[in-house]
Amino acid sequence: MQRMFMRRVGLALLLMLAATALTFWLVTAAPGNVAALIAERAAGAGADGEMIAKIADDLGLNDPLPLRYARWLGDALTGDFGISLRTGKPMAEEFGERIPMTLALLTGGGVLALVLSLAMGIAGAASNGGGIDRVLHGMALVGASTPNFFVAAMLVIVFSVWLGWVPTFGVSGLTSWLLPWITIALFPASVLARVVRVNLQDTMSRPFATTGFAKGLTRGAVLLREALPNIAIPYMTTFGAQFTLMIIGAIVVERVFGLNGVGAFFIEAIRFRDFIGMQATLTLFVVFFVSINLIVDLLAMLADPRLRRPRKA
Amino acid sequence: MTAPIYQVEGLVIDLYTPTVSVRAVDGAGFHVAPGETLAIVGESGSGKTVMTLGPLGLLPEGVAVDLRGTARADGKDILAMSPAELSRLRGGFFGVIFQDPMSALNPMLKIGPQLAEQARRFAGLSAAEACKEAVSLLARSGIPDPEDRYDRYPHELSGGMLQRAMIALALAARPRVLIADEPTTALDATVQAQILALIRQIQKEDGIAVILITHDIGAVSVLADRVAVLYAGQVAEEGSAIDVLTAPVHPYTRGLLASVPDFRSDSASGTKEIPGIPPNQAQLEAGCRFADRCDRVQPQCNTRRPRLQTVGMGVVPHRVACPVVIAAEGIVTHD
Amino acid sequence: MKNWPWAILAPAFIFVLIGIFSPWLMTHDPAAQDYAALLEGPGWAHWLGTDYLGRDMFSRIIGGARTSLVAMVFVLVAALAIGVVIGSFAGYVGGKTELVLISVIDIALALPSLVIALALMGVFSGANFDWMSDYWKMIVALTMAWWANYARMSRAVVVAELQQPYIEAARVMGASHIWIFTRHILPHVLGLVVVYASADAGALVLAIATLSFLGLGVAPPTPEWGQMLVDGMSYIEENAALVIIPGLALTAVVVSFNLLGEAFALQKVPRAVRGRLLSRKKAARAAEEVARKVVEA
Repeated sequence: MQRMFMRRVGLALLLMLAATALTFWLVTAAPGNVAALIAERAAGAGADGEMIAKIADDLGLNDPLPLRYARWLGDALTGDFGISLRTGKPMAEEFGERIPMTLALLTGGGVLALVLSLAMGIAGAASNGGGIDRVLHGMALVGASTPNFFVAAMLVIVFSVWLGWVPTFGVSGLTSWLLPWITIALFPASVLARVVRVNLQDTMSRPFATTGFAKGLTRGAVLLREALPNIAIPYMTTFGAQFTLMIIGAIVVERVFGLNGVGAFFIEAIRFRDFIGMQATLTLFVVFFVSINLIVDLLAMLADPRLRRPRKA
Repeated sequence: MTAPIYQVEGLVIDLYTPTVSVRAVDGAGFHVAPGETLAIVGESGSGKTVMTLGPLGLLPEGVAVDLRGTARADGKDILAMSPAELSRLRGGFFGVIFQDPMSALNPMLKIGPQLAEQARRFAGLSAAEACKEAVSLLARSGIPDPEDRYDRYPHELSGGMLQRAMIALALAARPRVLIADEPTTALDATVQAQILALIRQIQKEDGIAVILITHDIGAVSVLADRVAVLYAGQVAEEGSAIDVLTAPVHPYTRGLLASVPDFRSDSASGTKEIPGIPPNQAQLEAGCRFADRCDRVQPQCNTRRPRLQTVGMGVVPHRVACPVVIAAEGIVTHD
Repeated sequence: MKNWPWAILAPAFIFVLIGIFSPWLMTHDPAAQDYAALLEGPGWAHWLGTDYLGRDMFSRIIGGARTSLVAMVFVLVAALAIGVVIGSFAGYVGGKTELVLISVIDIALALPSLVIALALMGVFSGANFDWMSDYWKMIVALTMAWWANYARMSRAVVVAELQQPYIEAARVMGASHIWIFTRHILPHVLGLVVVYASADAGALVLAIATLSFLGLGVAPPTPEWGQMLVDGMSYIEENAALVIIPGLALTAVVVSFNLLGEAFALQKVPRAVRGRLLSRKKAARAAEEVARKVVEA
């Protein structure tokens, strides 16, 4: 158990290292002369060759790539991600302002997806092929097929424009958070509802479910107390994958609702060729994805008694 | 003879999956009284399990079940019960030991608390009493160090220990009918005998009714008072264990016993196999189900379905569904 | 559905037909601006109304189908080809080469495909890539973000297939690597991957629209649904249809491809269709793969 744990952590760190190295190579080396870009930003059209050369020298852009990566990594580990070419502010400062917003989006959306998917999946399994099951199945299919920016747009049209319940842009108060949360939760909730439904159905036809009935439990009790714990592991794994995918939802939602989060910053960085900002944001994403996957793996290990308490040989 | 406590008559069970439909049980029945052990014997797929557990609603989910006939537990009509009543009956009145304890016990649940819950819900014990009762149930089922096993998950126990835990679970609600569905098939040969001995001991001590579903004639001879032989969803022969095992009449029963090595001392010819394969119960035909494989087959066997006739003079009626052998061997019938 | 299983294929098929024949279906030039008819509602002159530049919505929706279809086909074919080549090579060669390639695949799968595509769009915004049009940047970025899944799958099939006894037999009889690979292994790989791709098409249409919605995909004036939707967002108070119509079109297409994927997963696709793509056994494996995809998305 402990060895497996350490192995997973080690692999995750290795993956972070490899992925950041790859993005560093792609983002800082491939696109062309960053020094020219900086000079252009600083001096407008009047940037000359001498100025560009000086900037490149100052930033160490002429050094070999591995050295530059090592230097970047050393800085990053101390929390220094450079200065955004677009806003001129240190990235650490940008992150400090923006991470809470994105985190609030992801957390709210994640909780909503969790609650919705369990409710829909269990209700479907309880109905077992009945009308409710079929309606929920259809809802999940549409929910997993509707682009999240269309969901966001429809929510704005209905609740802001037609009904006027919430402001069109920005967040103020809990109700205005609801639309962004619903937007990013709909897709993962639909996918996860299917995971719950399919796995519950499979589990209900296993022999230990029959034992549950033989113990005198009603179908609802067998579903909740015998079957549900057994789908915890596939559910957690898929939840982790869906939670990381919610970053895409966050990018879209931050644009639609005009929120100042990391996702909106990423898109602006791309549009304004802010390669330092891009590299920093991508690093943040890599750390987020890899650690969420790691946490989910470890939680799944803890949730499974066969892994938590392996049988003594 | 005491009145039966679980009684099934004229049972017809059709099973439907998306691709096939099967008449698993075709007009069969059985009964069992307190203190009695009934063995239901037959090949795999003969409908033993479906007949016994079907009326209780204990067939795996995902198969549609169509069920007709009568089934009574302690005189009450099971098939007319509400789902809630049926749940209580399954939990408290019946105890079931399933075939493969490794898959029949929930891998995510600890052994002991499940026992305690059964004792609390159905035997009316307090939480503390139920916990103590669970430990003593484990001990009684022959599990060493029961306090330690109480907090174990199924994967931490061996197959034999798990089946003992399964038995403890079946007994926790103090049931009046214990159904053991092939309780030893998934176990090692040495463990099998221990498990059978345990079931017999419990039956003697508690005086409950036991239904043993098996294809193991050895187990039948150890445990059973009465035997019902099932073939293709119909009862071929039934009677006291002594009558059926020592003086079988139906050609299928005779074939079944002859296929057991050294079961009877007079089987000098060694083991014999029943030729052919069991019929496809998806395609039903009139006549005796066993006709195609029977060495005594007569023309009328293919057209007329044989009914059970009582033979012999025993206290326990010995009934056989084979008019051909009865007539050919001049066996006296009583009805 | 039960009596006519082909119906499952119909919605996706209609989308493909509209995409192919869009020039003949359009009633107007989708780029033609008409300042006399701005933000009009549906009517006889413009069936679905006009947008903020007076462009005909119906023609733009029809034209958008073609944009999506063409981009989707390009990316799918390219990603599939690259994935199959790299994945099969890794699986067939084995050893250190396989290990290196698997690591690359794992790194590529460490981030969601769309985030990778976005990052690549950023990289391509650099001066070194000015020779590519925005449209091709998007195709290349999506392809580079999409191939890894196909590589992972191809490698798995090759590794499984290599363990079959008949491969050993063919080798003993002196068959060359090329012969064994093209005759025995490749058909299995393609069978699985093509079925998976049919379900993947919906996700790709969605990705194309999302890139355009974020302003990083197809550039105006080419009609594209995500682009139309984001343009319409500025006018939701005046004419919400500008948002709703492209949104519905997009959702309908994604639903139709997801239905197809689900039908494969549940093996509801008519055998005639499945059989032409792959054998029964392979269909079962493909179904498993698609089922996992549908479940895990």
